[in-house]
Amino acid sequence: MLETGLIFRALMRNKMGAILIALQIALTMAIMVNAIFMIQDRQQQMKRPSGIDENNTFYLTNTVFAQDHNFQAELQTDLNTLRKTPGIVDAIQINAIPLSGGGWSMSLQHEPGEDKDAIGSALYMVDEHGINTMGLNLIAGENFSQEDIQWRGQGQSTWPPKTIITKAFAAQLFPDDWQTAIGKTFYISQTQPMQIIGIVEALQAPWNGWDGVERSMLVPFQMESSSSYYFIRTEPGKRDKMMPIIEKVLAESNKGRIIRRITTVEDTRKRSYRQHNATNKILTTVVATLTLITSFGIVGLAIFSINRRTKQIGTRRALGATRWQIMRYFMVENFLISTVGVFIGSIGAIGLNMWLVSTFNLTPISFELILFGIVALLIVGQLAVLYPARKAALIAPATATRTI
Amino acid sequence: MLVMKNVNKIFQTADIQTHALRDFSLTVNEGDFLSVTGPSGSGKTTFLNIAGLLETYTNGDFLLDGEDVGKLNDKGRSRMRNEKIGFIFQGFNLIPDLNLYDNVDVPLRYRGFNAKERKRRIIENLDRVGLASRLKHLPSQLSGGQQQRVAIARALATDPRFLLADEPTGNLDSEMAQGVMSLLEEINQQGTTIIMVTHDATLAKRARRQVQVKDGRVSELDLVNHRAIA
Repeated sequence: MLETGLIFRALMRNKMGAILIALQIALTMAIMVNAIFMIQDRQQQMKRPSGIDENNTFYLTNTVFAQDHNFQAELQTDLNTLRKTPGIVDAIQINAIPLSGGGWSMSLQHEPGEDKDAIGSALYMVDEHGINTMGLNLIAGENFSQEDIQWRGQGQSTWPPKTIITKAFAAQLFPDDWQTAIGKTFYISQTQPMQIIGIVEALQAPWNGWDGVERSMLVPFQMESSSSYYFIRTEPGKRDKMMPIIEKVLAESNKGRIIRRITTVEDTRKRSYRQHNATNKILTTVVATLTLITSFGIVGLAIFSINRRTKQIGTRRALGATRWQIMRYFMVENFLISTVGVFIGSIGAIGLNMWLVSTFNLTPISFELILFGIVALLIVGQLAVLYPARKAALIAPATATRTI
Repeated sequence: MLVMKNVNKIFQTADIQTHALRDFSLTVNEGDFLSVTGPSGSGKTTFLNIAGLLETYTNGDFLLDGEDVGKLNDKGRSRMRNEKIGFIFQGFNLIPDLNLYDNVDVPLRYRGFNAKERKRRIIENLDRVGLASRLKHLPSQLSGGQQQRVAIARALATDPRFLLADEPTGNLDSEMAQGVMSLLEEINQQGTTIIMVTHDATLAKRARRQVQVKDGRVSELDLVNHRAIA
């Protein structure tokens, strides 16, 4: 028969240690649940697909220093060379790399003019090979044609009349039905019309921490620039083999430029989320340390309590308690303390989360996570008290008759 | 009935062997009131611990209420202590954080009685020792004599066949000691077998039967001439 009532009443008459442990459990719960929530949030962010065929793509920087450089002709030569190289699926020139941290953004607005509502988007300048090279999934409308591609000079402020946008961007422009975005005209740079001709499933912006990271647009531009990226897609499994080959081919084909920073998109993703990973490791360490300290606290209180009550335990054994009943006494006692702790901790966790939500624009914590925190700490409590409880159960009943 | 035949208890440390009981043979019959006297270190408490199943013995035979104690495991001994033995300790051994009601409740919970039965037994036994009106008091709010009465109520609550008392008046003044002794006599007259270890020769004489323990051996005392019977 459980002695819950007796244990509770005994605790109430000797509550300072129990209150301190309950508060420690509450604090651990509040911090643990929110730390796990933040870890999960970062993990979710890291799991988001970029939309690109990351396993088979890489890019490099092409920087021209020769004075008599013909940008247009040499870009076409480079792209033709790359596209014809065995093992290469496709290649493009591009102004920015998703998740790289650096890029362009522009805003589209429903109506022309100043002071109109506009939605920001990352902007990638590509030719008609852009979708194939990046491995994007065109889910509505059509790709650019060769005739759509324009040359963009240094400092040019006009834009082509067509664009392809991501589904997330279309959904933001047309919350009721993203597919109705096809054929619609929007305005870029406040007054220049731009028609949406296609929608791709996903293409992330260069900035992973931006709340509009899923909003991107492709514009049919090729750049007359002394420095730009070449983005290259290989046949599956050939990326690492092709990277040095391509570097050599490009470097040898034109001595008036430098080929550098050859990087895979996978590495870019890793670098992009390096801080997320580091923060998650720190948070995991905090959670583990706090849990460990709380466990030590529970063990310490239980051992202190057992040492203080050695004779009482012997008396209970003399009165007929089995070893299991003595163990159960301390486990139930810990369960009661932990229950109070996790109850206060749940309130604390929700309070802390409300502050985090309002301060850092996070999503609210889930009920499941609170429940996980409750169950986890109750289990930790029971495991922590197991050793002291077992020690108590081994106290000899003859202790009851000892006078010292 | 308690029967010990040639029971030995040897405490063994790294290099010392101590014979606490030597060929200890004793029979305690139903309804006996037995006092156990003897000098300090003679083995009285060891005998009481073994009789009360608080400690195991090294060898010999021990039957309690017809059951061979040597064959019981720890759980079996716990069950037998709870069902057949009541303890009264020199220091009362009440649980200081529990009130009188809850203190008497402790062994009843181990027995598994339902709440109604437990309440009946608690009130009946606290009433028997004259403390039914102080159910909610803590042990610290009672005198030594009253605390020992609560301990007696706790010991009786499970309806034990044997009441083992270890210096039950050792921590009481003479007036309180007389009161507790009278209560034990009354309990014995109602049929409970009592084995009482005491230093107090005067109190020991109030028992119906006396044994003396010396160097781990027991001898019956002649109640008329106060001589040990071989």
